[in-house]
Amino acid sequence: MTPFETDEGLSGPVITSEAPVLDWWLLAPFLVVFGAGVLAVLFEAFVPATRRRGLQIATASLALLVTFVLLVLQVGTLPEEGATLVAGVLAVDRTVLFFQGTIAVLALISLVLIAERRDGRDAFAAQAATVPGSEQERAHIMAGSQHTEVYPLVLFAVLGMLMFPAANDFLTMFIALEVMSLPLYLLCGLARRRRLFSQEAAVKYFLLGAFSSAFFLFGIAMVYGYAGSVNFAEVRAAAETGGAPIFEDGNGEPLLLMGIGLVAIGLLFKVGAVPFHNWKPDVYQGAPTPITALMASCTLVAAFGALLRVFFVPFGGSFELWEPMLWTVAVLTMVVAAVVAVTQRDVKRLLAYSSVVHAGFILTAVVAASTDGLAGAMFYLAAYGFTTLGAFAVITLVRTRDGGQELGDIDRWAGLGRRHPGLAGALSLFLLAFAGIPLTSGFIGKFAVFEAAVAAGATPLVIVGVLSSAVTAFFYVRIIVVMFFRDPEEEGPTVVPAGMLTGGVITVGVAATLTLGVFPGPVLDTLLPSNEAGPEPVSVMVDEASLERTAP
Amino acid sequence: MNPFAPASPVTALAAPIGGGEAGVFWVLGTIVVLGALGVVFSRKAVHSAMSMALAMVGLAIFYGINEAPFLMVVQIVVYTGAVLMLFLFVLMLVGVSSADSLVETLSGQRLMTAVVALAFIGALVTGITRISVGDPAGIAGGAAAAGGSIPWIASELILRYLVAFEATAALLITAVLGAMVLAHTARTKKRRTQREMSEDRIRGDHPTPLPGPGTYARHNAIDMPALLPDGSVSQLSLNPVLTARDPEYQSQVPDEVRAGRAALPGGGSDPTALKEAEPTEADEHTGDDGSRGAPPAGGEAAEGGDTGEHDENGNGQEVESSWTR
Amino acid sequence: MDPMNYIVLAALLFTIGAVGVLVRRNAIIVFMCVELMLNACNLAFVAFARMHGDIEGQVIAFFVMVVAAAEVVVGLAIIMQIFRTRRSASLDDANLLKN
Repeated sequence: MTPFETDEGLSGPVITSEAPVLDWWLLAPFLVVFGAGVLAVLFEAFVPATRRRGLQIATASLALLVTFVLLVLQVGTLPEEGATLVAGVLAVDRTVLFFQGTIAVLALISLVLIAERRDGRDAFAAQAATVPGSEQERAHIMAGSQHTEVYPLVLFAVLGMLMFPAANDFLTMFIALEVMSLPLYLLCGLARRRRLFSQEAAVKYFLLGAFSSAFFLFGIAMVYGYAGSVNFAEVRAAAETGGAPIFEDGNGEPLLLMGIGLVAIGLLFKVGAVPFHNWKPDVYQGAPTPITALMASCTLVAAFGALLRVFFVPFGGSFELWEPMLWTVAVLTMVVAAVVAVTQRDVKRLLAYSSVVHAGFILTAVVAASTDGLAGAMFYLAAYGFTTLGAFAVITLVRTRDGGQELGDIDRWAGLGRRHPGLAGALSLFLLAFAGIPLTSGFIGKFAVFEAAVAAGATPLVIVGVLSSAVTAFFYVRIIVVMFFRDPEEEGPTVVPAGMLTGGVITVGVAATLTLGVFPGPVLDTLLPSNEAGPEPVSVMVDEASLERTAP
Repeated sequence: MNPFAPASPVTALAAPIGGGEAGVFWVLGTIVVLGALGVVFSRKAVHSAMSMALAMVGLAIFYGINEAPFLMVVQIVVYTGAVLMLFLFVLMLVGVSSADSLVETLSGQRLMTAVVALAFIGALVTGITRISVGDPAGIAGGAAAAGGSIPWIASELILRYLVAFEATAALLITAVLGAMVLAHTARTKKRRTQREMSEDRIRGDHPTPLPGPGTYARHNAIDMPALLPDGSVSQLSLNPVLTARDPEYQSQVPDEVRAGRAALPGGGSDPTALKEAEPTEADEHTGDDGSRGAPPAGGEAAEGGDTGEHDENGNGQEVESSWTR
Repeated sequence: MDPMNYIVLAALLFTIGAVGVLVRRNAIIVFMCVELMLNACNLAFVAFARMHGDIEGQVIAFFVMVVAAAEVVVGLAIIMQIFRTRRSASLDDANLLKN
């Protein structure tokens, strides 16, 4: 092994010869979740079936709780400009900690929903490998089989979600994307009811996800070709100097352009923006509702964390290259998704389209490319996460007349408000928060995002956003009207009593929505970095090493 | 070791691409593109897989030319040898008989895709060819400094991309866990012990094993029926796989007792079904491929039927087949 | 020969794979086309690694191979599961989720 380390930046090959310095304190959240996942797999192998479930739930929830506590503590100990871990591969700063903390909390609440069981049966198939409707499946249902493998899969998905916004180079980001996605593909196919839909949703999610990952990867290849490195800081430096030294006269620009476009395709797929949103309605509808809740909240937060990071750090200096594209995508998303959502009959599909519209709103904050935009996006994501978890928790309770599968058809929810006012009231609050009515967290989120966009000069986007908001308000209010102002039907739904778990999730959702709506001050103020304000391109996420490198 | 800082690091290492490599590029590139087109446009799924193998091996050679010997070997061993073989296995188990017409569901979809693809590739190519690059720097210099290209890869992998390395471990665990969840069924009932099975058999209608084909006859081939003590043919010994394929294979069985209907795979021959076989059916069936009973679930193609017949080992002795009870 | 020829080849393979994903109906073939796209990315990485004189591209290509292997396991498990239910791997049959 060579005794020296040559690292001349972009002008010579990088030969690493020393082990990286590991900051165990900052790495702790990742290690806790990873360790818990591995432990959970060992439990699957060695613990007898009767005791497995309790142990798995306890391990998973403890791990997520510890992770959240660690992240909160790290906020205090982190230096102002952030830190990079393990030879610059991961970056941790206040923004990243916020995203990771949000993901940890939302995942913990989703875990409560996943663990919910009625009559000894949870939301997951008794034995996924049996053919739906077969004798074998019936035997397993009678025997009370359950798939406790769900818990390690969720933990690995959360590991990927924690890594995704914290990645400081494209390779780690790609691996994090895959670590996050593969368990979700599997989990989508494990619904107990309507297993055919569920399996179909898993296949579609998988194929479309793999397709978009390939685009993402080719984009990374183009960026690597342009910059000579995949590290975010080095890409940014290369973009400023016109590319790697091998390109004469800095004419490697087409590679950068293609790279940005293709990387954006991969990230916009994960976020669910139009025209890459086709997977969302099918997958949200087919997957088991607790997993839909996990995806709708945590995956969106992680994906936006990564998207913000990618567009602000490595591509931060190439704003004029990607701004037109994101404008187009944001407008398309807000308009198309809102229009299509009006025609939806099924509540889960409706919420899927609504999540696409919300992604469009947050994209306006990305276009704003300022610290205000970043803070607005962060608040919006956190608020939306809690609201959407509550909404899906309510959906798990509304079943068909025999108390069996969930009743998704909105028109048959008539009269729900008369017979179960508390539940309908909670759902109404969530829907109003989605619509952005004042006194809910959704209003504050939209206000913050639109304000940042206007300040950055993207007023047309805001106009489109407001109009789109009005359209979405239409179908949210329609649900409320159906629930409260229509007479109950004969074939109306049964509402299963909310146990402690689901009831707890709904309560937390309501509390968060109201609190963030009425008292957003404390949260909003801490989100905005104290020493930076105004519409300058964000520099809060650039790591210190890159600042040193680009300094003359 | 002298410090690795030549005056002009890139040009000092420049390893220009020679004419030989250019020639190989064009030839091999054409082959790889043909393989890729084969993957997309083959009618049969297995042909797609074979074209994919061709493309992957071609790419492996490209890696070798591009100073990546480690990747060349890994591509062949891991990607072609493991991943593609897994594809092939699953194809043979699952996808060979799947309906997969290249007929488009939306009219004009294929035209539209072709237009989009041409536009995409046109944009890519015009964009890329406008870039002029000097000679490639080549790995040789860096490899010499790092003590070889493989030690260099090793040090980058473990020392620099440690997090990606460990995260990939999480990925592999997920993959294995997922495969187990989706493919493995646990037992709900206890496995029947040999004692229980034996007790059931004694209590049943035939405590002794049934005659295998060819038993008590003068030949021991599987297409020979067993003879009952009175010299007549034992229906139970007729091989159901053979009878499903082609009654011609029951060469020594008299026409009136030949079975004309297929039995279910893996199950024993069904005596009632065989007894119902009409003698006239056998006449219609001669040489007619359409007579090969209802294909068992699993979509075995006709050409795959031959594999089930010969349950003999090399000595011609009959190996106990699972088709008979 | 221009070293960018390798990149053009990679782009061509990538496009062919993308077309395959959009055109084919058999889920396994669609997935094989995705693998073709990943291979095209690997070729691009290796070619760029040689151009820049840095082994980073080869390391990335190696990671991509590992990720692809894990993805193949998960994907084929999902496809096999759906086949067991439907006796068909055709995507046209997978149309219960409409609208």
